[in-house]
Amino acid sequence: PTTISASTETGTDSVEIGEEQRARSALRESFLRTLIAMTNKQVQFHMYERVKVEAKFGASDIDVLNFQVSELQTPIGVQKEALLRCQDVISYSFDL
Amino acid sequence: MDTWRQLKPLEWCKYVNKEVKVTAHEKQQHHGWVFTVDPVSASIVLVTFQEKGGTPTVRVVTGHAVQEVEVLQEGNEETAGRLRVIFTPPGAHTLGP
Repeated sequence: PTTISASTETGTDSVEIGEEQRARSALRESFLRTLIAMTNKQVQFHMYERVKVEAKFGASDIDVLNFQVSELQTPIGVQKEALLRCQDVISYSFDL
Repeated sequence: MDTWRQLKPLEWCKYVNKEVKVTAHEKQQHHGWVFTVDPVSASIVLVTFQEKGGTPTVRVVTGHAVQEVEVLQEGNEETAGRLRVIFTPPGAHTLGP
């Protein structure tokens, strides 16, 4: 349900759709480059309820619903491998 | 701001390469230059450059947590170039149509 669908307004002409698709693909390509840059880096995740955890980023699924991470440092110990639900994440950061 | 997620790609594009202040859930605020907005999750990618050429920091605010995005400064060619360079691996080519 978090996937955002393409415009479906009636009467949108093909030139507008073309422009929108170009914009969409440029934005998406840049976002995928961000994920690639994040691979194998230490990432700090800000979760709800002001929880902050750190882990090594592995991969994301295409809908950006889950992140696969390693060495997740939690208040009750280190989880070797984990999936984070992106719905639970407010923001995340890393150094390039 | 639920409307952030409902913007169209062309509207998100207007924020690219600009300096913004993003207000997220729990009033968390983040400043940075917009590298991109994921058209699937509406997540916004912010970059902050360190003084004296230190490593840039990237912060991604997930689309569902974005409440407000305020433009602080318009972009320029120099910043756009810096943003492009840091995410493009050496030898990569721009994808054509």
